Amino acid sequence: MRHFVWFALAVSGWSSAVITTAAAEPVPSYTRDIRGLLSNRCVRCHGPDGEDRHGGGDDGLRLDTFAGATADLGGHAAIVPGKPDASEVIARITSTDPDLVMPPPEAGQRLTDKDVELLRRWIAAGAAYEPHWAYVPPRRPAGPAVKNTAWPKNDVDRFILKRLEAEGLAPQPETDRVTLARRLALDLTGLPLSLAEIDAFAADPAADAVEKLVDRLLADAGYGEHMARQWLDLARYADSAGYADDPPRTIWGWRDWVVRAFDVNMPFDQFTIRQLAGDLLPDATLDDRVATAFHRNTLTNNEGGTIDEEFRTVAVIDRVNTTMSTWMGTTMACAQCHDHKYDPLSQKEYFQLYAILNNTADADRRDEAPTVRIPWEPIDTQRSKIEEGIAAIEAGIPELKKPTPKDRTEPPEFQPARKIIDELRKKLAATPTVTVPVLEELAGDKRRVTKIQLRGNWQNLGDEVREGVPEVFNDVALSEGAQVDRLALAKWLVDPANPLTARVVVNRIWERFFGIGIVSTSEEFGSQGELPSHPELLDWLACELIDSGWDLKALQRLIVTSAAYRQTSKCPPDLVARDPENRLIACGPRVRLSAEVIRDQALAAAGLLSHKKGGPSVHPPQPNVGLRAAFGGGIDWQTSTGEDRYRRAIYTTWRRSNPYPSMATFDAPSREVCTIRRPRTNTPLQALVTMNDPAYVEAAQALARRMVREGGSTAADRAIHGFRLVLARHPVAAEVDRLVKLQAEARADYAVAPVDAKQMATDPLGPVPADLVIDLADLAAWTVVANVILNLDETFMCP
Amino acid sequence: MDPILEHKLLTTRRHLLGSMAGGIGAIAMHDLLGATSGAPAPSLAADPMAAKQPPLPAKAKRMIVIHLTGSPPHLDLYDHKPELTKRDGQDCPAETIAGKKFAFTSGTPKLLGTRRQWVRCGESGMELSDAIPNLHRVADKLCLVRSMFTDQFNHAPAELMVYTGSPRAGRPSLGSWATYGLGTENANLPGFVVLISSGVQPNGGTSSFGSGFLPSVYQGVQCRSKGDPVLYVSDPPGMSRVMRRKSLDALKDLNELQARELGNPETVTRIAQYELAYRMQASVPDVMDIAKEPQQVLDAYGAKPGEASLANNCLLARRLVEDGVRFVHLFDWGWDFHGTGPQEDIRDGLTKKAATFDKPAAALIEDLEQRGLLEDTLVLCTGEFGRTPFREGRTASGGILGRDHYPDCYSVWMAGGGVKPGYVHGASDDLGFKVAHDMVHIHDLQATILHLLGFDHTKLTYRFQGRDFRLTDVHGHVVKAMLT
Repeated sequence: MRHFVWFALAVSGWSSAVITTAAAEPVPSYTRDIRGLLSNRCVRCHGPDGEDRHGGGDDGLRLDTFAGATADLGGHAAIVPGKPDASEVIARITSTDPDLVMPPPEAGQRLTDKDVELLRRWIAAGAAYEPHWAYVPPRRPAGPAVKNTAWPKNDVDRFILKRLEAEGLAPQPETDRVTLARRLALDLTGLPLSLAEIDAFAADPAADAVEKLVDRLLADAGYGEHMARQWLDLARYADSAGYADDPPRTIWGWRDWVVRAFDVNMPFDQFTIRQLAGDLLPDATLDDRVATAFHRNTLTNNEGGTIDEEFRTVAVIDRVNTTMSTWMGTTMACAQCHDHKYDPLSQKEYFQLYAILNNTADADRRDEAPTVRIPWEPIDTQRSKIEEGIAAIEAGIPELKKPTPKDRTEPPEFQPARKIIDELRKKLAATPTVTVPVLEELAGDKRRVTKIQLRGNWQNLGDEVREGVPEVFNDVALSEGAQVDRLALAKWLVDPANPLTARVVVNRIWERFFGIGIVSTSEEFGSQGELPSHPELLDWLACELIDSGWDLKALQRLIVTSAAYRQTSKCPPDLVARDPENRLIACGPRVRLSAEVIRDQALAAAGLLSHKKGGPSVHPPQPNVGLRAAFGGGIDWQTSTGEDRYRRAIYTTWRRSNPYPSMATFDAPSREVCTIRRPRTNTPLQALVTMNDPAYVEAAQALARRMVREGGSTAADRAIHGFRLVLARHPVAAEVDRLVKLQAEARADYAVAPVDAKQMATDPLGPVPADLVIDLADLAAWTVVANVILNLDETFMCP
Repeated sequence: MDPILEHKLLTTRRHLLGSMAGGIGAIAMHDLLGATSGAPAPSLAADPMAAKQPPLPAKAKRMIVIHLTGSPPHLDLYDHKPELTKRDGQDCPAETIAGKKFAFTSGTPKLLGTRRQWVRCGESGMELSDAIPNLHRVADKLCLVRSMFTDQFNHAPAELMVYTGSPRAGRPSLGSWATYGLGTENANLPGFVVLISSGVQPNGGTSSFGSGFLPSVYQGVQCRSKGDPVLYVSDPPGMSRVMRRKSLDALKDLNELQARELGNPETVTRIAQYELAYRMQASVPDVMDIAKEPQQVLDAYGAKPGEASLANNCLLARRLVEDGVRFVHLFDWGWDFHGTGPQEDIRDGLTKKAATFDKPAAALIEDLEQRGLLEDTLVLCTGEFGRTPFREGRTASGGILGRDHYPDCYSVWMAGGGVKPGYVHGASDDLGFKVAHDMVHIHDLQATILHLLGFDHTKLTYRFQGRDFRLTDVHGHVVKAMLT
């Protein structure tokens, strides 16, 4: 029955969630018109939370269900289907008596006349309730018929176009090849393409030139790193343990696992199962166990005088919340303390999920136990060399296997060897193996019993609960009879019948490309979330993902080869005014790049970027501030040397109490909690970073040298080259002229300021190589130009 | 208000209006969109930091917080317990510790009476200890709360509780709520400034002044009295101001070409942000340069240019709010008086530490008052919790007298901005274990602060993950008795 209702909804097209110009339907739809209204104005007090439900009879009045709303309240009812005038709800929301009017004046805003009219018409038509759309599993809708059959390149386009045609709009033309190349490269790898590749693509006459480039980018070595960035936000990955002293944590082995998983296009269901329960798989490999560090990214509190059990509890709570946010777009946090106010999720159900995650061995310990050792070639080689040395000495003098005797009666001739072997042992101890904290299930009598924590207080315990999942999703089978453990939970999350996971995943991917999700509240798909702008498209994509075997590369290929994605982002002003967020996708996306991509792009254009993959996190330049963490060590660091100074941003050491400042300024989170969606702000502090941060100044200096070395001999050619290295497209004449004019002005100024010229051209990048013949004033002036190019609005935007 | 200050504030406001709304932004916008399409130009009032009127009448227009990181021994500063002194060295009565957990103390600890002398100060007769002699002068300006309590007894969670309303990271801090609600008066300076002294970060790291799920534009901006006053505010070596201006002119021309080509409002905003950054490059070092103050002002605070001291930061706080900064948050490390070293002894150690605090704090209050700023500037001084009426367990057998963390009853003070001056709110019981009357929870304090800033704490909300979040979570009552 549920499915039938959903299907009827889907085909009747209630899709005008955002921009409605069509005349309102005569009968209000519960999902489109009524649910949000009740949810925002009434359900907080008349909803699922039985402990705090007001009005009505003994159990309080519920307005979020048909049964509750129409229950007999002693000769009257809140809602009498078909009879608005007999419905107490209408009487109350229109009352002028402050003691009777709903919502109570102190609790919320009065309903508008329009709201009242909607409710009245809905009740008159029978007050039909519908299940919340996102709790009904998606069914694949057929690609809709459209008038302009020439435009769609795949089914994605048919859904977009159907809506555009309904709004009386036409899509924008395809963007030019060069812009498309930059867009694709930044979206799929987070790195710019070489000019040679861009030009080859622009000249490629093949009908499938775009598809070829997309395939090439999806196979690029940078793809996995770029994809991992968002996953690390969700997993709250960092290189420190959190709280006051925020000590270092070695968990980068898991970060590398994520990058590899994306690179090899591990199906998302496997990706899920391994991270939540890799250790419980039959014949779990080391990699499977490393994957479980997803949930070892929770904070541990190492402050003196803390109770480990308190903060272990906090970590498990975080795991419940993060799991439900990441996979199901569902905010469970409310139900930690009381039944959810808006969605049918009870506190008991919260702790049933908690019970599933409550039996791992980790317990807020400083040593991060349990951990697994992972191979790491540089360290392992070093260790085996030391071990070989020790073994060789021991073979010669077996007495040295034992520590120095207490009574110091060792023969004097042993002493030189003893000294060496002691040194070696010390060195071995100082070269620890690389480990990753992992999940490990407790067995037997070590298993913990889970009780409801009353008001969310870990010391105030109520009834015992067994492992389970919320009943509202009970259409999805938990493996019958089997143990309800993390493995069962993981499989349940990626069960094709799970109504949310696939929708949530495709929505996040859509959001990455278009700047805003089909559901704009990508963190909340419950009744307090926004309705999808294109519900059929969302469901179609979700089904496509599941049917493809959870193939993330295929899904992205589908989206970025669509005509919708390829439209120009040059948007007519009346369209901007009508649809400022581009919810209709009536033009191409233009989205500000992430903190990581902004930095990587600058380093790549400058030719500085290292493509080395994986390994321990690094320390690119950051200003010294001379502070210590509370109860911890200094927060300044020794800048990495060699190519580690220029690694991709994903490898920057992430200390939670001190996120890398230039990335934090561009909205990177602290990673203390799961972040589903970063804001994208536009602030003066960002301008200060890209103008003045030594890392960006260094990039400008290197870019200037490339302009001089590779750009040609005329000022115009050099300016064009620098511009293209960053933005791919050819500058127009006015742009070239302006850059050349700046260069000439700056060169004249620097010609009479040699000290400034030298600093501008070389500090911090270093002396000009001997084979680059140019005077410093000229080079300093090009550095100023490069600094401007790296600060153009266009530079920060995916075009 | 002082007419000179009035003029200064008005000029900065006008400057802001001129530069943002009527200046470059609006003109470019009109050019780009208005003239070509007739569509209404998107309003630059969307600037998230534009000054806003609060919904309710506000007594405080700006706020300064002095956070004493680690939590000072309130029983040796603000709350005199003669009964505790009388029973010094005795076992804690069983009922005071039954079922309680402490950070570093177990078993039955010994009561610890204060070793300080106490003075009734000013007309109000407020009793303060001899560790803070300078604050005696301003006792009649203080609103002292002796009945505070919190839920947390570890530093980091407790500090997050005070400033974000939750012991877990991820929520916006008080200063970000304030700037989210009020914007700021001077666009050329950050609206929410953080100053750290004694060399150590807050317990909660940057989350203690973070913006949580609010846009990051509302996060506290750390300023320094050494090095770059704000990170990256200085031009790189070899880039003169003249050269920066020339390069910004080129950048603006190029961005305007782009704006004309694409018509994206974001580009226009970015042009404005770069102009703002350029002005900030001048105004931030200017306001952060305390050497510009007359010697007698420096002396009053005990400030010395070039140091990162609480004295300097108190003076900077006044300079910043005077220039229109909405919220200034000071953190000073070194108040965790466990007794693990002589600097943590409630006798000499406290005398020395308090001297670095009470002089500038008193000077700040007097300076604000002289400039007519105290009446609408709220000052709060607190730690993350209080300290026990007994000796800390680990150090109980040594010669140094220290106290453990204590959440159940402690003291904080406020001044200015609509709080009752010369007033003591609430009291602890005879031994200082429990609040005797007029309990004030952290959420009540937050509700009261927001009330003073012109907000109903239940209505200053932000929708995140489907829920309207607020600083006070689902708790908090305005403490009316504290208000003027």
